[in-house]
Amino acid sequence: MPAITLTGVAKSYGGGEHAVRNLDLTVPDGAFMCLLGPSGCGKTTTLRMIAGLEQPTAGTIAVGDRVLDSVERGLYVPPEKRGMGLVFQNYALWPHLSVRDNVEFGLRMRKVPAVERRARAEAALKMVHVDAAMDRYPSQLSGGQQQRVALARMLAVNPSVLLLDEPLSNLDARLRLEMRAELKRIHEESGATIVFVTHDQLEALTMATDVAVMNEGELQQVAAPMDMYDRPANRFVAEFVGSPPMAIVDVGPSPAGLAGSLLRFAESRVPGSLEGAQCSPTAVGIRPEALRLGPPPGATWCEEAVVEAVLPAGSSWTVRLRVLDTELYAVSYTPVEAAPGDVVTCWTERMHLFGADGARLSAWDGAASPAKGAVA
Amino acid sequence: MAVVTKAETPPRPPRSRRLLYRLRVLRHDPTAALGLILVVVLGYLVVAPLVAVLSDAFRLQYGDDVHAGQAAGEWTGYYLWRVFRSQISGLLFWQPLLNTLVVALGTVLFALVLGGGMAWLVTRTNVPGRKWLAGALVVPYMLPSWTFSLAWLTLFKNERAGGQVGFLQAQGVHTPDWLAYGALPIIVTLGLHYYPFVLLLVGNALRRIDAQLVDSARILGAPQRTVVRRIVIPLMLPALSSAVLLVVGRVLGTFGTPYVLGLPADFRVLSTGLFQSIRDRSTGVASVLATVIVVIGVVIVLADTRMTREHRRFVTVGGKGGMDRLSDLRRVRWPAFALGLVVFGVSVLVPVLTLLLSTVTRTPLDLSTFTLDYWLAERLPGAVGFPHGVFRGSELWAAAWNSLRIVGLASVICAVAGLLVGYVVVRGTAPRVAFFLRQVSFLPYLVPGIAFAAASLSLFAVARGPIPALYGTTFLLILVMAVTHLPYSSRSGIAAMTQLGREPEEAAQIAGAPWFQRMGRIIFPIQKGALVTGIVLPFISGLKELSIVVMLTTTGTELLTTLSIGLVDYGYTQLANAVVLVIALVSFTMTYLTQRLTKSSLASGLGG
Ligand SMILES: Nc1ncnc2c1ncn2[C@@H]1O[C@H](COP(=O)(O)OP(=O)(O)OP(=O)(O)O)[C@@H](O)[C@H]1O
Ligand SMILES: [Mg+2]
Repeated sequence: MPAITLTGVAKSYGGGEHAVRNLDLTVPDGAFMCLLGPSGCGKTTTLRMIAGLEQPTAGTIAVGDRVLDSVERGLYVPPEKRGMGLVFQNYALWPHLSVRDNVEFGLRMRKVPAVERRARAEAALKMVHVDAAMDRYPSQLSGGQQQRVALARMLAVNPSVLLLDEPLSNLDARLRLEMRAELKRIHEESGATIVFVTHDQLEALTMATDVAVMNEGELQQVAAPMDMYDRPANRFVAEFVGSPPMAIVDVGPSPAGLAGSLLRFAESRVPGSLEGAQCSPTAVGIRPEALRLGPPPGATWCEEAVVEAVLPAGSSWTVRLRVLDTELYAVSYTPVEAAPGDVVTCWTERMHLFGADGARLSAWDGAASPAKGAVA
Repeated sequence: MAVVTKAETPPRPPRSRRLLYRLRVLRHDPTAALGLILVVVLGYLVVAPLVAVLSDAFRLQYGDDVHAGQAAGEWTGYYLWRVFRSQISGLLFWQPLLNTLVVALGTVLFALVLGGGMAWLVTRTNVPGRKWLAGALVVPYMLPSWTFSLAWLTLFKNERAGGQVGFLQAQGVHTPDWLAYGALPIIVTLGLHYYPFVLLLVGNALRRIDAQLVDSARILGAPQRTVVRRIVIPLMLPALSSAVLLVVGRVLGTFGTPYVLGLPADFRVLSTGLFQSIRDRSTGVASVLATVIVVIGVVIVLADTRMTREHRRFVTVGGKGGMDRLSDLRRVRWPAFALGLVVFGVSVLVPVLTLLLSTVTRTPLDLSTFTLDYWLAERLPGAVGFPHGVFRGSELWAAAWNSLRIVGLASVICAVAGLLVGYVVVRGTAPRVAFFLRQVSFLPYLVPGIAFAAASLSLFAVARGPIPALYGTTFLLILVMAVTHLPYSSRSGIAAMTQLGREPEEAAQIAGAPWFQRMGRIIFPIQKGALVTGIVLPFISGLKELSIVVMLTTTGTELLTTLSIGLVDYGYTQLANAVVLVIALVSFTMTYLTQRLTKSSLASGLGG
């Protein structure tokens, strides 16, 4: 199965602002890659360029050895010859064809004989649980059913590259879980290379083999899900991935306050580690799960904090704290006894340091190697 | 790890490379080529005639060289002088211009009072049967515009024009010329045809006025009169100005009524003057007149566009609060209904019944002379040019077949072209082509039909380059008719395609369907409904069309409408009336059925 390679791909609509700038991205052979990013960051545009529906203004797109687009070399393969599968953000089912005919269309175009066509369409519809609505028209289906028909329409032709633009956004929570498992299974069975666009980072972290985060048309980081979480490349990724988001405190001109306290601690723990960096850290980040309440277990960073609010959320508790005049959130997975107004001790074993340009310089992880602390 | 700074603009490959790439893309996507073809063809059919007529206005025509003292084919101001400054310019231009203005103004006032009043009645009051009235009162718009003038003649014609006199004259009541012909009858009959136009436009606007706006003004203590003056009228202004300008534009280009009612009294307007000049073969003068009509038409539409844009801020959005609070007419409810009935009677029943009765009586409307001869007789003594009932002989059937064939083909071409324009615009692969296409396909809207026909005549009367002379061919009729209806069909094509979006086609593309398959299996089947409406609406309006075709038909290509006008020329009132009745019946039935079947409203087909 093929790898998808994008080299120096840029796209501006009608010569205006760039929707995608200078994208270098490789989706490895057989990967399940999630494209993650805020609305309008160019995810759909990237996907449509891979499918051939949109043409890049610069760069090269290839699948395996086959160059599909190359502005520099003047090469172009039209979408109908790329043999990919694409699920549109708004389904794009054909309103004048029944569900069955919608799903059979691609097979018809591939000149699959009628009997086989029928069987494959039915199998695809069964897989997404809409086989009961086979003879209805798209307008007679719910949004979620339409989305699943769109999935089936793509799966029926069994392409080796699948492109999915937020294919699960309209399903209810249970169905979504089910479809995620289904997609994962399809991925494993077919070995297809999948590019999956989503807003939902939980979806990205649970399903993907690789996650690519984009912002304002630029690629921010490509990594395996947990790597992305543990070692975000920059402030944007750190804040975007993880829920609730990482708290990042800017170091002001005078190193007083919370940021100063964190920074001094980090420097004392890992002397010299920061001097090697190109620039000195200007911000420190802590993930809410890493911020704990209660007596610190040893040589960790700790400070006094005032509890401002406790927000239970079923399996976890979110606590709003005021530490050295800065607001911080902590997430606890054990019940929190403190009440608003209480003064408690908070501590952490993990922090991320960011440079002036937003890039992550290093992290201190006291838990990894309790005696000394480690720099990642 | 790559650190991303919000970068410099990405490097662009050299121009030649980008061009090569673009060409490769275009080779696989016929949209741009299709758009380009449409631009060229439409450009030729729309722009070239206008250029031709303009150039004819400034070039000396054959036969005029002696008078003008110049060689034929030279550039000249002779025709300008002749039309605007010579001794006969009063007759050629100034009097017709004045007459046109009088007729336009009168028609607008008439239509505004009648249409505005009826619009208020059926949208804002609790008059009994308002649904029915709202439907019944637009019927006049479904009849050919000069139906009313024939009915008028049947009632008021005097002995001046020759042929059979009208009902009143036959009863011994003398009808003076000012009542039988000229400005007054033209204004009344055109007003009766165009008031539904005002009714629809104003009615839509009235329906949108938020009752809460009116209520809040009342609560603030404004008396009823002030509310109307300060709130309702300003809100209605865009619709009113649109209605005024569009009616003026229509009147400017209308031919049938001023021809039927004006000519016997030598009352000329610009359109009939243009027709006369063409008939007299004074091409140069006709070209100047056509140009003037085009210029006035363009100014009117541009003014309308401008006004509408300026008033856009007035448009009351939402309509959430716009619940239908109807004025309670109390004691005058039934009198108001009666008024509505009277308007319906005068604008529909009286003309249609008059025409119908006139065709079955020898002395107009005198039932003691009942006869079906005008419909069915083998031989009609006295009628040399048409010596039998309309259903006998081949004339009516030939004309009907011509109408069906020519108008039908034109409508199909028009609808398909409109949809293709919409396709190219929405597909968006060639934004500049799409832009031109939008403009070119809208252009005929600016040009009154009769002037456009004159312009086409200028272009196609003689062979030019590879294109042979088309005058007298069905082909020319089809082309001109299709082009003049294109603005409506391209607009609705763009609307339909925009609503569909491009994803359905893209999905087919991803599924591996080549272009023709995508068109044949996806786009056209989905747009079936839009296509049918796109064919039927131009068809109905084309069936009634006279102004455009009157100059282009010849003996072999007679249509129903020109047949009827020809019979008027002969003075065969009953026969002419019979043919018009046939047209009216067909066009009314088709409109009614279409509205029933497609639930489209007449308002979208205002291209009549
Ligand atoms: N056809 C178009 N013409 C002009 N600009 C466009 C077009 N399509 C997208 N854009 C712009 O390009 C940028 C990226 O759009 P894109 O649809 O790729 O975002 P996205 O990441 O998919 O967002 P979402 O998560 O909301 O779907 C946006 O700023 C958008 O406004
Ligand atoms: Mg998107």
